[in-house]
Amino acid sequence: MSEALVDALNPALFWEYRQVLLRGLAFNAYVFFSAATVALIVGLAAALLRVNRAWPFRWIGTLHVEVFRNAPDYIMVIWVHFVLPLLLGKLIGQRVEFSPFASAVIALGFVYSGYFAETFRAGIQSIPQGHLDAGRACGMAESTILWRIILPQVVRRMLPEAVNQFVSLFKATTIVSLIAVPDLMYQVSMVTQQEMRPLPLYTGAAVTYFAVIYVVAGSVRGLSERWRNKIYA
Amino acid sequence: MDAIPAIRVVDLRKNFGALEVLRGVSFDVHRGSVVSMIGASGSGKSTLLRCINRLETPSAGEVFIDGEPMGGPVTANGERKERPLSDINRMRRDLGMVFQQFNLWPHMTVIGNVIEAPLRVRRMKRKAAIALAEECLARVHLSEKGTEYPARLSGGQMQRVAIARALAMQPKAMLFDEPTSSLDPELTDEVLTVMRELAADGTTMIVVTHEMAFARDASDRVLFLHNGQIEEEGPPDQVFGAPKSERCRQFLSKKLQ
Repeated sequence: MSEALVDALNPALFWEYRQVLLRGLAFNAYVFFSAATVALIVGLAAALLRVNRAWPFRWIGTLHVEVFRNAPDYIMVIWVHFVLPLLLGKLIGQRVEFSPFASAVIALGFVYSGYFAETFRAGIQSIPQGHLDAGRACGMAESTILWRIILPQVVRRMLPEAVNQFVSLFKATTIVSLIAVPDLMYQVSMVTQQEMRPLPLYTGAAVTYFAVIYVVAGSVRGLSERWRNKIYA
Repeated sequence: MDAIPAIRVVDLRKNFGALEVLRGVSFDVHRGSVVSMIGASGSGKSTLLRCINRLETPSAGEVFIDGEPMGGPVTANGERKERPLSDINRMRRDLGMVFQQFNLWPHMTVIGNVIEAPLRVRRMKRKAAIALAEECLARVHLSEKGTEYPARLSGGQMQRVAIARALAMQPKAMLFDEPTSSLDPELTDEVLTVMRELAADGTTMIVVTHEMAFARDASDRVLFLHNGQIEEEGPPDQVFGAPKSERCRQFLSKKLQ
């Protein structure tokens, strides 16, 4: 290997800036957990609308899923940050502004709620009717059946699919640097502008994301399999 | 016999669209008695059972549990108001149900299945619910299986857990919907034995079954359903020994071959 290449790949620079970069990664995690919470709550609500007996509810749920599942993350982040405040501002006749963090969480949360809604819906519809009948026959309220019988099974069934979606969501958090959320990519860009050495910095960022996702997703998959196997012997 | 039957079914009808599944069924089940319902597939037995605890809403007619109408009381101007679901849920507590497909909740252990309704519906304390569940599991001879998950049980064991789960609500009556029909023949006996013991203990039971021996020896009354109506009814000796209806005779001769 030529000396120039070795020098270019030298990770020392990445290490030198570790604190700032780690802080950036923490921001990714922060955006990820906040957006995942939004996505799960809104996704569950949309799924419950989609399995509702009354067609207007079903229609709203389907609209939600179609709109957000088919919207690119990138455009949604830009739209929520720059366009939505303008619209809201015109609506209430006041200046509205979202912090970059809030925009990122809303945009990614809603986009991924579309995917989670479908995963929840498939899970809910896969629960045999008999399990619900057994609950009803004991005099259980519908809400008890949802929380005690349907959702615990849905969560187990949807876990493998959900882990994939969480991975996608975590990867999607890298685009929030576009609206100046100080995440890892944002910090890398800043340092690059100073040091003028993109190769070790961007490679370091890529390796960091890969390592984090590989290790975390792998352990979650392992743990969830062990938990799921108990009931599907 | 007491004046108010545990379950009274009056002129019950059920349509699914144009299909008339139940065409006016009436009968009483007295406390402590066992009523078996027999008949060909599609005669309306299961639908009738599901109408009794309102898993299906009857199209017409009424079911009385201990004299209380499930469909809601008639108002002064003669109209009948449908009960709110919470009311129906309260009445359902008094009717334990056992299904053909067991319908155990697979994410809960055996004991978890049995204590769930006492905890969430009867609002019992966990300790008391567990003590009750252990008692119920002992009645179905499964005391040692409390910590297993349903997936690790045989069909017969699953059905016995389902019986324990229904018993744990301390119902006034038990409804059995073909409890042995999805079991291998060698596993039906363990379930039937438990059911015979319940009957001997004075449990009020309605049993939809294809087990003619059980209907004949363990029940006080047998109903033969045909096309959504009761075609023949009486004590087992009469229905099995000297059926008045030709259809019932044919059905039994095929079954008892």
